Amino acid sequence: MQLEVTEVLWFEQHELSLPELAELSGLSPALLEELLDCGAIAPLKLQRARTELRFGSAALRTARAAGRLRSDFELDLQGLVLALGLLERVADLEAQLRELRARQPQPIL
Amino acid sequence: MKYKDYYASLGLERGASEEDIKKAYRRFARKYHPDVSKEAGAEEKFKEIAEAYQTLKDPQKRAAYDQLGAHAPGQEFQPPPDWRQQYSESPFAAEDLDLSDLFAHLHAGASARGARGARRSMPGQDYEIAVAITIEQAFQGTQIDLDLNMPEYDAEGRLHRTPQVFKARIPKGATDGQRLRLPGKGGKGLNGGRNGDLYLNISLRPHPLYRASGHDLYLDLPLAPWEAVLGTAVEVPTPGGVVRLKVPPGTQAGRHLRLPNRGLPKPKEGQGDLYAIVQIVVPSVVGETDRALYQKLSNDSAFDPRAHFATEAGHAT
Repeated sequence: MQLEVTEVLWFEQHELSLPELAELSGLSPALLEELLDCGAIAPLKLQRARTELRFGSAALRTARAAGRLRSDFELDLQGLVLALGLLERVADLEAQLRELRARQPQPIL
Repeated sequence: MKYKDYYASLGLERGASEEDIKKAYRRFARKYHPDVSKEAGAEEKFKEIAEAYQTLKDPQKRAAYDQLGAHAPGQEFQPPPDWRQQYSESPFAAEDLDLSDLFAHLHAGASARGARGARRSMPGQDYEIAVAITIEQAFQGTQIDLDLNMPEYDAEGRLHRTPQVFKARIPKGATDGQRLRLPGKGGKGLNGGRNGDLYLNISLRPHPLYRASGHDLYLDLPLAPWEAVLGTAVEVPTPGGVVRLKVPPGTQAGRHLRLPNRGLPKPKEGQGDLYAIVQIVVPSVVGETDRALYQKLSNDSAFDPRAHFATEAGHAT
């Protein structure tokens, strides 16, 4: 039987706690803490205690990528942190490139 | 169910060693992993490789796979009758299954046994889907049809492939590179585990007029030379409808004329801007009258667009 439901999407704009981030990314809380210590994953606000940390969609995206990279490439923590850092730089450069391309007038034929 | 040749997926012969399997997987993973590869079709290719590797790297699963015999890829086949008894803990409906389900199932059986009969709860799988929408759809919000085919256990604990068709509403405010999450719309959890999530990765299709950067839009605005010199008012298309834009006298090519809040809406509130980029366009064919006017302008005008060449060259010496 085919069910047809209209779903209202939830924009990734609400804040996640550390356990919620662990659940949604499939990473262990211990590994998440290590990624947090290395600065590979950043919370929304820095100054608070660990139990009060809140994460946004960017952290969820990074954590999910970390889960995939770790299992698919069998990476250790150092390799993982390195790969995540490089991927973030690539994403940043791609965003800049996209903006430059958008601002660049197209040649007139 | 359709047969898949896992050895061929990894570019290997049947008798390949464990080391060969690992090496082949690593080589292909580096090339096709969706997080690192920009090749077209990389994601599909990686899924195929990962599925082959998941089975072949595990000696027990590999033995089970080898006993299915060799068939042509895509050929319909059934596991031999004794295969089920030997490798499968619980019943399954082979007709509507994917070959990968058979081996995922093998794994589920093994872990259930490890927990001494206590059925372990397992969260459902998350899925990510790429969704390309137009700039108009991003502006207004849109509905898309999702057609998924996910493995699922029925009430008797039998594994099935269940097609799921549903509509998803993409609210206005989506833009290139954004992700949306549909909680619980991924694979079903097992034994009380939570359902997986479905992630939609949004991309914007190229548009003949607008180019998007975040929620801002850019549009080329061609002007005739005299319009740029004298100034004018032009009608500019925007996703929300045509607006009138005043072009001030002496507008240079390349200038960005900003139309505030005429770009894409943002998720919560506010709206990006639309920038009209001035281009000065000359006719490729010039009639007699026009030519005479240009000639008169050329003779009479004191304008020197390259005056700074002389000054700068003077500095150099």
